[in-house]
Amino acid sequence: MYGGDEVSAIVLDLGSHSCKAGYAGEDQPKSVFPSVVGSVETPGAVVDGGGDTDMEAKKSGEAEKAKSRKLYAGVQALGYRRDYMEVVPAMKDGLVADWDVVESLWDHALRDRLMIDPKEHPMLLAEPSFNTQQHREKMVELMFEKYDVPALFLAKNAVLTSFASGRATSLVVDCGGGSTTVAAVHDGYVLQKAIVRSAIGGEVLTDCLQRTLEAKGIKIKPRFSFKRKEIRQGEYELIPLDLPNTTDSYYAYAQRAIVADIKESICRVPDSAFDETSYANIPTTPYELPDGQIIEIGADRFKISDILFNPTLIQTIPGMEKFGTEAGIPFNGLPQMVIESINKCDVDIRRELFNSVMLAGGTASMHQMKERLEKDLMEEAPQAARVKVLASGNVLERRFSVWIGGSILASLGSFQQMWFSKAEYEEHGPTYVQRKCP
Amino acid sequence: MEPAVLDSGSMYLKAGFASPDQDPSIILPTAMSRVEEEGGNGNSGVIGDITHPIKRGMIKDWDAMEDLWRYVFYTGLGWEPGNEGQLLVAEPLLTSKVSRERMVQTMFETFNVNGLYAVEQAVLSLYAVGRITGVAIDAGHGKIDIAPVWEGAVQHNAVKRFEIAGQDLTDLLAKELAQSQPDAKLDLAVVEMLKEKYATVSKDSSGYAATAEDCPSIEHTLPDGQVISIGREVYTVGEALLRPSILGVEEDGLAEQLLRSVSMCSPSENQRQLIENIVLCGGTSMMAGLDARLHKEAILLANPSVRPSLIKPPEYMPENTLINSAWMGGAILAKVVFPQNQHITKAEYDETGPPIVHRKCF
Repeated sequence: MYGGDEVSAIVLDLGSHSCKAGYAGEDQPKSVFPSVVGSVETPGAVVDGGGDTDMEAKKSGEAEKAKSRKLYAGVQALGYRRDYMEVVPAMKDGLVADWDVVESLWDHALRDRLMIDPKEHPMLLAEPSFNTQQHREKMVELMFEKYDVPALFLAKNAVLTSFASGRATSLVVDCGGGSTTVAAVHDGYVLQKAIVRSAIGGEVLTDCLQRTLEAKGIKIKPRFSFKRKEIRQGEYELIPLDLPNTTDSYYAYAQRAIVADIKESICRVPDSAFDETSYANIPTTPYELPDGQIIEIGADRFKISDILFNPTLIQTIPGMEKFGTEAGIPFNGLPQMVIESINKCDVDIRRELFNSVMLAGGTASMHQMKERLEKDLMEEAPQAARVKVLASGNVLERRFSVWIGGSILASLGSFQQMWFSKAEYEEHGPTYVQRKCP
Repeated sequence: MEPAVLDSGSMYLKAGFASPDQDPSIILPTAMSRVEEEGGNGNSGVIGDITHPIKRGMIKDWDAMEDLWRYVFYTGLGWEPGNEGQLLVAEPLLTSKVSRERMVQTMFETFNVNGLYAVEQAVLSLYAVGRITGVAIDAGHGKIDIAPVWEGAVQHNAVKRFEIAGQDLTDLLAKELAQSQPDAKLDLAVVEMLKEKYATVSKDSSGYAATAEDCPSIEHTLPDGQVISIGREVYTVGEALLRPSILGVEEDGLAEQLLRSVSMCSPSENQRQLIENIVLCGGTSMMAGLDARLHKEAILLANPSVRPSLIKPPEYMPENTLINSAWMGGAILAKVVFPQNQHITKAEYDETGPPIVHRKCF
């Protein structure tokens, strides 16, 4: 139906932390940017139309209540500090929460970064493995109605990661920004009953690191809050800028960006379980903050990463004691999640799953993650099983493995007949997506 | 025959045979005027409006572009139909796949070139100064592109396109002059010339504020005899690049955009090397004082331990390398690519079609 070479498909992967978009067939997404937008609310334009009919009256009533929201997406727009700009995330708990935000993110990706016309390209969308029927239909509707795409396909994250490594059966451990998901993929289908989720993801780790630093008295100043001035040749002075109209959410967002960079540069997974005493004497590593402060981080580098394996550590961080005691998604260590997921599968395939545990996601690119997971699994797994953890050596490949899997899938010749086309959508409606994209 | 290098910009089109130590032999304004011909008479009729086929770096009017290229190839470079040579094309960043394929198709099918290679302008600008890693700030007429390049590969994710460029500065100057001297009649070509001659970037932001009170006023005689006096406007135009709020645009200035672009490059260790190798090139970069000011602002914004520095072209390159750096880099690259047969040949194009550009040139 759609030739692999002539019309290039677009692969879109919207995650809790970042949105990846690019052409199918390439080995990296062309555009990666945060899945949040800046939103400035301006008291809204009341519809002023003469108001003859009842419709008009109703519309103007609604418009008075609705304020118009201007959304800014993309690193460039978010980086510019605006008065009253709030930071609004697109996803909550792994699923789409705000469809307007999603629309503006896709607009930015397609029109500003990739510079394409959506009418001409089939779209492959990556969705969370536990996506609900309702969300799927809404996504399909948005794509066909607003962007007028010729065809689309929804594929589950775990399946795409599996494809990226060339396997049809594997256990995918996706350590992402918002949460961690362990899913078993068998012959290209996700086994829904074996999905195990945990609320601990990259952003939780960033929060922990931030609280730890603040408890030590280190104050992180966002880039826009100060200015440097040259007082003498080679010597600079820091002048704090007073910007009262900056919203708290934007301030926090800018701070987190800095802490996230600290986390990505120096955190490492310890070789064995972390305990305070044995790591007390570890040498510290310096890191320079944008305002010039140099901070030294020692045992915390390992403590933060170990939270993935031992979540009770969170309670020891000042300010985070209450985490997880509220009802919601439970949190378990990674090895326990893997075992739990495998145990929920059929006995026959368990062996194969133990043999092909795949690591994916941004948080999985921490140093030593693969070795530690393998070691812990070998201890926890039943004696007969042979445990093998697979992870791409290249950091970028791990982070974008879902996108890469999508790129591979959309460029396969045999996939071209599986697209859900606009004609089929118009004939059967959005519920048809269940049939076409299992 | 030497391979030819073509760099089509929003304002000027640069073309010539690849001889690395020399300027491009053809520098034409990228502007076409449609001429209506009276039927049968042969006389050219009314000269229509001047159109610019390239807007903001992107080719918008393919027919006009084709005519312009035809002139460049057959009249300018002296190619004979049937014996066309090899061509290296410099493309702007963020060119869509469709646009690229169309360009390749035009070159092979309409002009019958023998071989083709397409490279992004940022990479070429770095080659012109002898580097493969660094940040290329290409300040042109239609757009300013900030592109970090690591070992010859553009980091697409970190590319920033700044929509304010030479064209907008000219408009700003025209507006400011119209305000201070309502009687003078200035058309855009004249304003353009004034901008190139006088626009200056102040040493720092407090220097700019000082010009509000006291500023030397320059008397200039226009070609048609009018005398105008220009004062603060020249500094305003320069400052607009660093503080776009002057133009009414809600964006960060050039220095902030540069650092943000670098900070988006993946491994943080690379960022230091990128900042220490900045190439500021393109027509608008020739504004007096821009390089010093940009350097200063970058030092203030970067981390204290990093020393941003702008690269100067090597001594053996001609004087105005930086204005035509994309073309120069193309000339250097053409000497390497074509002899080694890394380009797209006509046979390969005939076999695969336009999408071959994505495979062979990246």
